[in-house]
Amino acid sequence: MAKRAAPRGEKRPAARPHQHGKGRCLHILRALSAYIDDELSGTICQEIRLHLGACPNCEDFVASLRHTVSLCRHTSAPILASADRARMRENILKSARTR
Amino acid sequence: MPAVSPPHSPKDRSSAPARTQKNFDKLYRDHVDLMYRFANRLCGETEAAKDLVQETFLNAYRGFKNFRGDAQVSTWLYAIAARACLRMRRKRKGEPERELSLDEFIPTSEGEFRLQIPVDGLSPEEALENKELRQALDAAIDKLPKKYKMVLVLRDMEGVSAKEVGTIMGLNERAVKSRLHRARLFVRRELSARGVDGTTTTHAETYR
Repeated sequence: MAKRAAPRGEKRPAARPHQHGKGRCLHILRALSAYIDDELSGTICQEIRLHLGACPNCEDFVASLRHTVSLCRHTSAPILASADRARMRENILKSARTR
Repeated sequence: MPAVSPPHSPKDRSSAPARTQKNFDKLYRDHVDLMYRFANRLCGETEAAKDLVQETFLNAYRGFKNFRGDAQVSTWLYAIAARACLRMRRKRKGEPERELSLDEFIPTSEGEFRLQIPVDGLSPEEALENKELRQALDAAIDKLPKKYKMVLVLRDMEGVSAKEVGTIMGLNERAVKSRLHRARLFVRRELSARGVDGTTTTHAETYR
């Protein structure tokens, strides 16, 4: 993602290295869907926010998960043409009579 | 997959619509577009989606007596479609089912923490105007093992509540949320590690 990678690279060139074990990140990762769906208690949300403030990778991760869910929510699907709708109805009724 | 099991007590049957063409036509007219959208998202292509819709309404027509008036018609139809989809896929020897482990979603290189596609500053609608992004998203969803895909499609694409997804798939809410989380992580990873242009930066570039 060139558009985003360049400015981020300038803004944060290894400024906040990973100073904690990966276990904490994994612990956070388990709860992220519940976090972005706003299903967690205030205490746990606060714990996650504190971690995100200190862990740029997890912060990026949450943003990317939010984007992913948002994209899924906004995808469109093809519309059924009238001719197909009528043809399928006939097929169904025909099958119902014969099978 | 456990089904939405409409109750079979005589009391419940009294509220079921009669199996007439008139009732079928109303059911079809009111819900065919919803089912076609759902089927397209599950199958990933239109011909298979049309087959699935026909199978769904045929099964619904035959099972009119099982429909309980106090359940949502859409929930009942989603469940019939989900079962039909599993049967159709088995016939076609689709991708093998497998469990997704949280461990496999831990990024291993710097580029994997972010999406490798342009979404920043864009609304989701604007981002989805990018054909490559749409294709990458479709491909990611299509790669999901089906039991995860169904939960993601129902919850995040169809907007069905976690409780209703549980009813449709015969799962408790906790299991629905667990599958949904893994499915989202799977799709997120597909959009990050691979990316539209295939580029990733290495972990060492940032973590020196």
